[in-house]
Amino acid sequence: MSVAPKSRPSRDEEVDVVIVGAGPSGSVAALHLARAGVSVVVLEQGEWPDYNDYTGARPEHELVSTKLWHPNPNVRDNPNDYPVDTSTTDINPLMFAGVGGSATLYGAQWMHFLPSDFRVRSMDGVADDWPFTYEDLLPYFLEVEREVGVSGLAGDPAFPPRPAYPFPALPIGSVGQRGALGMERMGWHWWPGSNAIPSEKFGELNACVRRGVCLTGCPEGAKSTTDRSHWPLAIKAGARLVVRARVKEVETNDQGLATGVVYIDANGRERRQRAKIVILCANGVGTPRLLLMSGGAKHPDGLANSSGLVGRRLMMHPFASVLASYEDPLDSWRGPFGQQVYSHEFYETDERRGFVRGSKWNCMPSGGPVGVSGAIGSKVYVAEEGRFQDFWGGNLHDNVARRFGHSLIWGIVGEDLPEENNQVVLSKDLTDSDGLPAPQIVYKVNENSNRLLKFNIDRCLESVRAAGAIETLVSVPVRESGWHLIGTTVMGDDPKRSVVDQWGACHDVPNLYILDASTFPTSGATNPTATIMAVALRNTRRMIAERRNQKVA
Amino acid sequence: MSGEQTYLALADFLIPAHGKMPKFSDVCSYADATTALDFRDDLKEGFVRAVAVDAAGGAEPALEKLNREDGPAFSAVTTITIAAYYMNPRVRELIGYPGQENVQYDSKAVQPYLTDGTLTKVIARGRKYRPTPGL
Ligand SMILES: Cc1cc2nc3c(=O)[nH]c(=O)nc-3n(C[C@H](O)[C@H](O)[C@H](O)COP(=O)(O)OP(=O)(O)OC[C@H]3O[C@@H](n4cnc5c(N)ncnc54)[C@H](O)[C@@H]3O)c2cc1C
Ligand code: SF4
Repeated sequence: MSVAPKSRPSRDEEVDVVIVGAGPSGSVAALHLARAGVSVVVLEQGEWPDYNDYTGARPEHELVSTKLWHPNPNVRDNPNDYPVDTSTTDINPLMFAGVGGSATLYGAQWMHFLPSDFRVRSMDGVADDWPFTYEDLLPYFLEVEREVGVSGLAGDPAFPPRPAYPFPALPIGSVGQRGALGMERMGWHWWPGSNAIPSEKFGELNACVRRGVCLTGCPEGAKSTTDRSHWPLAIKAGARLVVRARVKEVETNDQGLATGVVYIDANGRERRQRAKIVILCANGVGTPRLLLMSGGAKHPDGLANSSGLVGRRLMMHPFASVLASYEDPLDSWRGPFGQQVYSHEFYETDERRGFVRGSKWNCMPSGGPVGVSGAIGSKVYVAEEGRFQDFWGGNLHDNVARRFGHSLIWGIVGEDLPEENNQVVLSKDLTDSDGLPAPQIVYKVNENSNRLLKFNIDRCLESVRAAGAIETLVSVPVRESGWHLIGTTVMGDDPKRSVVDQWGACHDVPNLYILDASTFPTSGATNPTATIMAVALRNTRRMIAERRNQKVA
Repeated sequence: MSGEQTYLALADFLIPAHGKMPKFSDVCSYADATTALDFRDDLKEGFVRAVAVDAAGGAEPALEKLNREDGPAFSAVTTITIAAYYMNPRVRELIGYPGQENVQYDSKAVQPYLTDGTLTKVIARGRKYRPTPGL
């Protein structure tokens, strides 16, 4: 990168704002605060990405990426990540530590939450409404989209009318065309994919060349991550970013106001960053973990937790996938590996189906020969059972011949409803490389999700077969699929039933903010990053507008 | 059997000749496997244990034993074998895989779905979202 992070603030310097986490949410907040003249320091436990480390263009890609770029921090085993205790969860949370955050490994599928996602209680009688509406958020969606460099096609009847995307949609390729054919034959909705991948050069982002390795870091610098889209501008505006800085505690004074954070630097030294406002952007697992680690003897159940809801209501979008192979070639190693087309046919509630809320499907390529063989790795796309001989010997060659270059995958994201027992707690025996307690996930896929996934898989099989599939492989629920981490410090008006208000300020600690998806009352069924960044922008704007009225220590 | 001979016996059982496809040892050597292993330090210990297995009774029972009794060793030897094989240029040529290649395209080109009527049909099927005015 051409930008060099400025040095950390001097000892004892008090800044206006300290932000924990340099992923999409923290980056949006940092850029806009710095532009407004606010002094900002961001503390990030990971490093700046080195694009030479992305192996996508090299022959060893499939071998290296299944370890180095695995989305599960426990598999990656990199000391910059914290490990996660997954002994009590059906689904593993997935994330990445670094400038750009978990989006370093995201599929860049760019979807807005829909109007009904903000009105789940009013429309479907379950969970909660949000304190604001789709229409309230739309201007921020559109503004963020311009910062990110999204490509897509407006006019989708599954969304309210909206202006054009900043860039034309990426080519949908043979995979997208085949996925669309099945939907067309069923008379169902589909639309060309919208992705946080510009189809033309944009700022520090290069045009996508469809290398198809988006999920393991884009070696072309084309997939939009905030190390390229936001940080060069934020640093120019004066924001300071300290990497390899792991925050262990938010500190408060006797009045219950935040005074800053304590972190462990790259050399293992403990440091303090004083600030008038603290913002947490550490994701749906890292944020509650940090609150639970904070508060000291005065708050043995964690900081900002008088409601008892910190860590609770974790939603991770149970996920299913259907791999379908076809006789004719689909060049199915070509990208983008986000979504070439998507469908909202089953997004909205229809109670005759036996469950509430719905799903979003995305059609993506199936990738290289090792992955489609199903013989090794996380077995995301194949059944867990079976003898090893089923995947090896002549079967290996047959499987690769049938699937490689000839298959597509529909990913099915189901809305996850909040349940207080699905939660993040602190592990009693697992720690990170600094000795801090790891988060432990207590999570069960609920009955509504099981029914929803079953219904959608059955429909998906109808669609792929309508387009001529000669083989189908179903995986449900995929264990390695907790890529959306939502709900663990819920927003609301009532301090007894929520952790933060609608602007992200903690009810208990008014100068402590949370701007990541932890605050979402419900999870929608779309990929959340567009909504995360839009909410972060909305709340940052409000913080700037109200800064003179902000209560500080 | 040396570690190298054991390895090649296991690898050829895992990836035999089949139709137009060569067996592992027709295109890859033990050195290719160790080169692949250099990309994955985490698999080295398991790989060493795997190639020390007694394969005198045949590769299949040896692999079955590894799979049953030493999952990490089984996983190491299978991962390295399949990766080395599909990294091989001859194998890639046979299956038609150029690698994760760079593909140029014209971002301004009109996509077929805009002109062949398919998207018009999607639009004609009507609104899919539920509006929420006043809620
Ligand atoms: C494999 C994968 C695929 C995905 N695909 C999509 C997709 O296609 N579309 C989509 O919309 N979303 C996708 N997502 C989700 C997307 O990545 C997240 O929604 C998004 O990154 C969340 O942004 P965030 O800033 O809230 O959190 P994160 O991006 O997780 O960033 C949080 C940051 O905080 C840092 N941090 C945490 N704790 C501490 C601490 N104590 N001290 C210092 N730093 C700390 C972390 O290191 C991290 O960098 C995917 C995720 C994964 C893993
Ligand atoms: S498809 Fe595009 S965005 Fe994805 S890795 Fe390739 S060049 Fe990058």
